[in-house]
Amino acid sequence: MITKEDKALVRQCIAMILAQGADAARVTLNRSVEELVATLNGEVDKVTRCEDSSLALDIFIDGRFGSFSTNRTQADALESFVRKAADMARAMEPDPLRKLPAAERKAADAVTGLEAGLYDAAQEAVTPAQRVQNALKAAAWGKCPAPEGMVLLSEEGEYSDSCNDNLIMDSEGLECCHTETSFDYGVEVTVADAQGRKYSGYAWDSSSRAEGLDAEGCGRRALERACARRDSPALPGGQYTMVVDSEVAGKLVTPLLNALNGYSLQQGNSFLDGSLGQKIFADGMTLLDIPRTKGLQGAKYYDSEGVATADKPIIEGGVVKQYFLNTYMAGKMGMAPTVESATKVKMMPWPRSGPEQARDRAALLRRCRSGIIVTDFNGGNCNPATGDFSYGIEGFLFEDGVLVRPVDGMLITGNMKILWQHFLAAADDARPCLSKLIPTLAFSSVDFSGE
Amino acid sequence: MKLKTNGFGVSLEDLQALVAEGLSGGGDWCDLFFEYSAYTSLMLRDGIVSSGGCHEDYGCGIRVLNGEKTGYAYAESTDMRALRKAARSAASIASGGSVKACGTPHSVECPHNLYPARRDWREVESAAIISTLQRIESEIRRRESRTLKVMATFSCDMSEVLMFNSLGELTQDLRPMGSLAVTAIFSNGKKVINNNASRSYRAGAEMLGDSVVNALVEEVVRGIDEAFEARRPRGGKMSVVMGAGASGILLHEAMGHAFEADFNRKGQSVFSERMGQKICRSGISIVDDGCLPGNRGACNFDDEGVPGQKTYMVTDGVLTSFLHDRISAKFYGVAPTGNGRRESFRYNPIPRMRATYMENGSDGSVEDLIASVKKGIYVDRFSNGQVKIGEGDFTFFVKSGRLIENGRLTAPVSDINIIGNGPRALADIRAVASDLTIDEGQWTCGKEQSAPVSCGIPSVLVEHLTVGGGQ
Repeated sequence: MITKEDKALVRQCIAMILAQGADAARVTLNRSVEELVATLNGEVDKVTRCEDSSLALDIFIDGRFGSFSTNRTQADALESFVRKAADMARAMEPDPLRKLPAAERKAADAVTGLEAGLYDAAQEAVTPAQRVQNALKAAAWGKCPAPEGMVLLSEEGEYSDSCNDNLIMDSEGLECCHTETSFDYGVEVTVADAQGRKYSGYAWDSSSRAEGLDAEGCGRRALERACARRDSPALPGGQYTMVVDSEVAGKLVTPLLNALNGYSLQQGNSFLDGSLGQKIFADGMTLLDIPRTKGLQGAKYYDSEGVATADKPIIEGGVVKQYFLNTYMAGKMGMAPTVESATKVKMMPWPRSGPEQARDRAALLRRCRSGIIVTDFNGGNCNPATGDFSYGIEGFLFEDGVLVRPVDGMLITGNMKILWQHFLAAADDARPCLSKLIPTLAFSSVDFSGE
Repeated sequence: MKLKTNGFGVSLEDLQALVAEGLSGGGDWCDLFFEYSAYTSLMLRDGIVSSGGCHEDYGCGIRVLNGEKTGYAYAESTDMRALRKAARSAASIASGGSVKACGTPHSVECPHNLYPARRDWREVESAAIISTLQRIESEIRRRESRTLKVMATFSCDMSEVLMFNSLGELTQDLRPMGSLAVTAIFSNGKKVINNNASRSYRAGAEMLGDSVVNALVEEVVRGIDEAFEARRPRGGKMSVVMGAGASGILLHEAMGHAFEADFNRKGQSVFSERMGQKICRSGISIVDDGCLPGNRGACNFDDEGVPGQKTYMVTDGVLTSFLHDRISAKFYGVAPTGNGRRESFRYNPIPRMRATYMENGSDGSVEDLIASVKKGIYVDRFSNGQVKIGEGDFTFFVKSGRLIENGRLTAPVSDINIIGNGPRALADIRAVASDLTIDEGQWTCGKEQSAPVSCGIPSVLVEHLTVGGGQ
């Protein structure tokens, strides 16, 4: 939790910067505590304790700008650092577009840090012995036997809990804070078949609340996923209907968000340049930013400039509704500023009603009848200027809505705009702990390369 | 005895006391990793350098080992109260057993300084760097009239490290790193493309000369005509000729990670049971080398205080060594190979690559390799890669290349992923040229933590890789 002393430190730092002749300053305090217990094959393998605290300084001086950070926050070390930082900021070239955001854009409702509803006091009460118990609870080793013909070779598990505090203040009266706890489980298993071929599987769960997590399910699901990969040769290349599991579907949204960011748009390094207000994607594609849903992991009331976030559409019915423009990029582009980036993205189900609606993965597979469902990506990239992409995938062939066999060693290749024009459907099954709430998706006519 | 403990404000007695605290639970190893790093960056965008800054990070990581189990904690100060608290947290990995004593402190000298910065980054004026960035932009615009935008970034890091362990070994290192990276956007009125290039060295400001500027500019403007024409190939399995240098990403992803001993110790790697076996054709040797002077992957010492060394992983086609930290070396009963590396004092060390490359072969030139392929692809620029350790399935993303048709380079291609399987790809290397090049780009490996690495390779011909493309 942010304390009076934290605020005093940040105010003191701002005063030090202004004393160096700065016109304005913004200072952010980031602090976190994390405790972690890792297991290997059902035994404790590692315990770690992490305590971090640092200050990030944005200095506006003589029409120039610089950004700095330090974790040495004792007064004498900080004063010396601020002096050097101010000197370096003065050495930059002048840029009149560097300035603090206008007062009316700044968040005024993140006062205690608890507004987003993401703090659970139970985190402070977790004991070392409980952490060990939690980590062991997630393990499948010794509890879930591998199916016949498979051997469980290795299992690595992890439990961690953490508390993260953020305080941002500027020389024009901004004061915002945010506190968030996190409880996380993750398990990765490696199995081998009778021929010695190895397969791995991973499962995780996470929440800002200690209660309601499926620890035991992590090891079991990781084992199931690894064993399901057995004997997974590539299919012949061709065009297939592609379903993408919700767990990994965010990978196909990230390039869109990057392309809508001012840093890409202003440099002409965006395949969505000039797309604002245009219908670029399929009718059913609606993507929202919902940073103000209280209690939803990842919610936050302000961005890194202290600008108030808002629940808004990013893409609605295939039409681009929003660019992400911070104060500087908006100035450069001669446009109205928005927020620096998307905070908590949610894709709406499609179709939203009627017989074609598929609420979950199984229903979506039935609706699509046959194709390939992607359950994980293996590398790849998307060219930000053109939207051309190519990703390695693994997943399953499905026919008549039922999984037939695993596939591996294949690639999907295409262009982001065209892919999203071929968007068929979105289920409604995104787990709230996903960083992006993207449900299971379906696309038509995707190029798969394989055997 | 007087040993320097650098500028961290701790005495030898303090170091011994902290190790004693770490071993107090019955652990059998304790080490301390003090680090002060100062990172500076400057960015040119739209013709001006109007953003930049400095970031400093200071603290000490304390690790206690109990067999192969690890206790780890750190403090962001060198105040003894904070350090003792961290040592007690790390000590909790052990409970019971005899308490070991700390060895007598003694300094371990660096046999050869692999990165003697002749000009300390801390003494370089921003104006000199700004002028270098501006020169890069003006040269690119002079060379290529279709230039739309240029973004050029400079960064440097000076990291002071002091390590002490329960054997009493005291090790110090001063690690410079300087990097320049350029992204340029070009337009021919119909199509927009981007191109990038970077250079990174464990060196001081002496690297900021004409040669690095010229090399970057040359790489950024090279192949622009082809890039405007580039198209996707028809995807599928084919022969791939990988050009010398950056194609070393093949070794890093397809083999290097699977040779890291933590994955093998835990039975996860596809190579776990293959030590001493022939895994590719004779004549192929694959090395991980921490001793290339000024190289981004060079290590006077690794982050466990083990001197930098050159490790043959594959010798004449036979798997001869994994890459070890102290934990895995003890497990396998071998000497550490100097691969125990970490991102910063916030992380415990784990086996990591340094500069990974294949030694020269004797199958002629890259032209000979291309001439031997009826239908395939030649690739020479990459952006990123990934591997699944257990399965051995790897990918890397190709920024540019050309089709090979009947032994000749034809249409340019770009933005394709290539996928393969490590052991199979190794076995499918059909020819190795004699043009070994170590790439000098800003490669960073992301295995749990970030670590600067480099890679290299002579031109090689690999059969049966799956290339992404249209259908």
